Amino acid sequence: MMQAYLDGKREASYIGNLVTLLILGFAVLGFCIAYGVLFGWMPLGERANILRSDLNPYEYIVAVAGLIYGLGCARTAYGLMNREQASLRWSQWMYFVTVIIGGAILLSVVIPVGLKFALLLGQEKDLRALINDDIGGLAPIALAIGENLISISLLVAGLVALLSLLVFLIPPLERLRETDGVRWIVAPPAKFVRAILLVFFVGVIGIIIAGTFVVPLYPGYTTIRDVETHRIAAGLLFLLPGLFGYMQARQVEEQSDELRRALALTPGKFIRAELAKSPSAGAIIGFIAIFMGFTMATDLFLEPSSVASFLSNVATKGVIAIGVTYLMISGEFDLSVGSILGVTALSFMQFLTIGAPVFGVMEPIPAALLAIFVAFILGAINGILLISTRIPSFIVTLGTMLAFRAITLVAIAGGRILRYSDHHEALPVIGISNIVFLVLAVIGLAVVAFTAYRVLPVLYRATIQAWSVRENSGDFGTSSALARAVALAVTLLILLAIVVWLAAVLAYHGSASGGQIVEVGYFDLFNGRVLAIGSEGDFFHMQIPRSANVRLAIVWWFIFVVIFHVILTSTSFGNSIFATGGNEGAARAQGVNVDRVKMQNFVIVALLTGIAAIYEVSRNPGVDPRKGTGLELEVIAMTVIGGALLSGGYGSVVGSLLGALIFGMLQTGLVLVGIESRVFAGTIGVIIIVAVILNTLVRGAQRN
Amino acid sequence: MEYTQKNDDALVDMIDIHKYFGSVQVLRGIDFHVDRGEIVGLLGDNGAGKSTLIKVLTGYHSLTRGQIYFDGEAVRIYSPHDARELGIETVHQDLALVPLMSIARNFWLGQEPTYEVGPFKFLDKKMMASESIRALADVGIHIRDSEETVGNMSGGERQSVAIGRAVYFGKKLLILDEPTSALSVGETQKVLDYTIAAKEKGMSVIFITHNIRHVYEVADRFTIIERGHKLGDFYKSEVSENEVADMIVTGQIPERLRLYDEENGDVA
Repeated sequence: MMQAYLDGKREASYIGNLVTLLILGFAVLGFCIAYGVLFGWMPLGERANILRSDLNPYEYIVAVAGLIYGLGCARTAYGLMNREQASLRWSQWMYFVTVIIGGAILLSVVIPVGLKFALLLGQEKDLRALINDDIGGLAPIALAIGENLISISLLVAGLVALLSLLVFLIPPLERLRETDGVRWIVAPPAKFVRAILLVFFVGVIGIIIAGTFVVPLYPGYTTIRDVETHRIAAGLLFLLPGLFGYMQARQVEEQSDELRRALALTPGKFIRAELAKSPSAGAIIGFIAIFMGFTMATDLFLEPSSVASFLSNVATKGVIAIGVTYLMISGEFDLSVGSILGVTALSFMQFLTIGAPVFGVMEPIPAALLAIFVAFILGAINGILLISTRIPSFIVTLGTMLAFRAITLVAIAGGRILRYSDHHEALPVIGISNIVFLVLAVIGLAVVAFTAYRVLPVLYRATIQAWSVRENSGDFGTSSALARAVALAVTLLILLAIVVWLAAVLAYHGSASGGQIVEVGYFDLFNGRVLAIGSEGDFFHMQIPRSANVRLAIVWWFIFVVIFHVILTSTSFGNSIFATGGNEGAARAQGVNVDRVKMQNFVIVALLTGIAAIYEVSRNPGVDPRKGTGLELEVIAMTVIGGALLSGGYGSVVGSLLGALIFGMLQTGLVLVGIESRVFAGTIGVIIIVAVILNTLVRGAQRN
Repeated sequence: MEYTQKNDDALVDMIDIHKYFGSVQVLRGIDFHVDRGEIVGLLGDNGAGKSTLIKVLTGYHSLTRGQIYFDGEAVRIYSPHDARELGIETVHQDLALVPLMSIARNFWLGQEPTYEVGPFKFLDKKMMASESIRALADVGIHIRDSEETVGNMSGGERQSVAIGRAVYFGKKLLILDEPTSALSVGETQKVLDYTIAAKEKGMSVIFITHNIRHVYEVADRFTIIERGHKLGDFYKSEVSENEVADMIVTGQIPERLRLYDEENGDVA
């Protein structure tokens, strides 16, 4: 129909004009959102409940997104008016984005309300106590409705959860039926799905009503507030027309094969295909969902101090997860990392306080190196046991887990808790010449220059190319050139920011006032608060709020992720890791030294664990013999959430990063929204299973 | 044994090969040779010892007793890597490709092209993609996208890629272990074409199968193995397809051929 409109057919002009108007309407709505959010008419997140005057980061993001969305819709409508071919595909995308925006706005009401509601339910055993008594003249009716609504909506919500599990887990029933020799494929009963969706909407609306109208969610305020009803209205205004448009645009009836193929790749299918290319599809979806959920549920979540705190908490585990990912991709498994961490941490502390057998009491840096060497030996023991005996790594590392734990309990420090302060008066301090920082800054500048030299010309050429062929492109043409120009500008800005920062460091240490020798705590050097170092000598010259617990381990972690990602994806060693886990026989037949790869991976895990142990000790200079107990399973959980296959041959370092971030967000976020931290382990369990199911589903979609 | 003389013309000469797995004697003194530019069909029923003989040659198993000459020199082959260094490429029945990896990565596995940035070596991904497509096209295999995962391909396509890789990298000897056992008629024909392509490149080919129909068309010579012994070597001009098939099944040499074999000192 729309094709006919584009071809200028008279009979299609009525509907075509309507669609153009609809998309134009979306554009206006997008601009309205940007305006409303920026000027405080439509507060988002928890802000809506507190009525603060400043905007939170979430709102800035939404305002910018609204602006871009409005511009996109306006361009699409303009294209439709000018009968441009590309506007068909663009309108599909605009419907899709509209649905997502509508859903997000609705969720921003449903999530906080549902959360408060659930929390109140958890506190009050008697449901009657939840019901608001101050409703006025309608109180008895409201009470009666409310009392039932709570139980009914709970029942419906449970039913919906059960049914949606059934729908998503059981593959669509496609049956073959033969009538008169003709085979029919019977699609899954659409009525059934529609009925479930209906029940779902009823359940959601029931919860909203029960939550906002009857239960006093926010003591001191009324039960129902204007901001929330406004947002429900706005959400529906986006969601319903968007859904309608998307459904209508899916019917492809155009004659040209090329166009049909282009349109058949609907935004939904496109995103699924793109996700299927990545091993960590489940982790990406989970990360976005959990991040959005927490940002909508509480404003505290995006505070710099919360982000820094959860990053600091998972940084050391994230470092170990990188190694465990390597090992898991090569088809093996390490249960002993917790014990290795314990041994390394205790050895480090013992070398610093009581003394090593030959060297006596050591300085921090030699002690750290020797402790990491201890970890190296433990990893090598794991590897040698596995290779020489061919016992499954689960058994080998189960054994070494217990054996290494015995070292910390018996051999090192005799099972005592070692505290640095019991043996030394003050924390160790090192004086570093400012020339070191000057050299480091110059090296940093060189790296930036090299990156700019490699990346910027490529981006520039891509932009020019996209601009020069804009007439022939299937999209509006200018759009891809614009997108590339934006990418170029963003890269340039990031590089410039780093250059400015490094220049500031150079200027500070280059000037006479910078001092000749900078006193730095050793432990701060390993894993201190970034600002704690800055306040001593200011050699990082960073402006980070004092409350933010930004630890150096976070920086190391991200650096390790980049390095190990490059090794895994772009070197022949990485290739042989994948081959070893994917098909050991084939790898061996192609001349890959499988045993050496496994040995190397065990050593890499142990070394990273040793480094993590140094971070842990530096953060809190006191070690007990049980340190690291239970760590191995947490790290494996991160890796599995990140999309690595337990059977080997598949996974990514970025996935382990996402897995660790999900882990950390849950740990911090659950506390911030007021849920008891005892639920944490259970939540992680559910997340693992959901992430693995998502990964399998997405990969299955790719295969078909 | 006086008849175990080194054959100077041969590319591979395996003399008096014994292989025991514990007390089980799998190979009991086999002599086997491949001449240059020759396609040899290595035949025998299941469990006759064909695959073990080849795995000894490719370094998968160490031999218990015997001597291998390659290119006229006595060699010891301890690992598949050693065999590869000598110029032997093998397509194993079950150990061909890694299903979760892309075609390009499978193709270059074990000998990836790299470029150097300072002390570091990085995979040359562009070259891996373009060269694997080109090399496979050379032997008549056309793939759409070298980033496609091997796990998404059909059995015949996988076998094609494995053989195409072996032909590309193979310098002297190509070994195909039951390459056609799971393939359709059309795909089998393709594999035979690749075999001839390898021969035209100047390579020798060992084609292992238990089904004479798969190999009679292309092979120059047949070596038949029967329960760890060699039954005999037969040139294609000497025997018919049915005679070979009978020998595989019965383990007996027909009367007509016995005299000829004694002249060559090739009695089993």
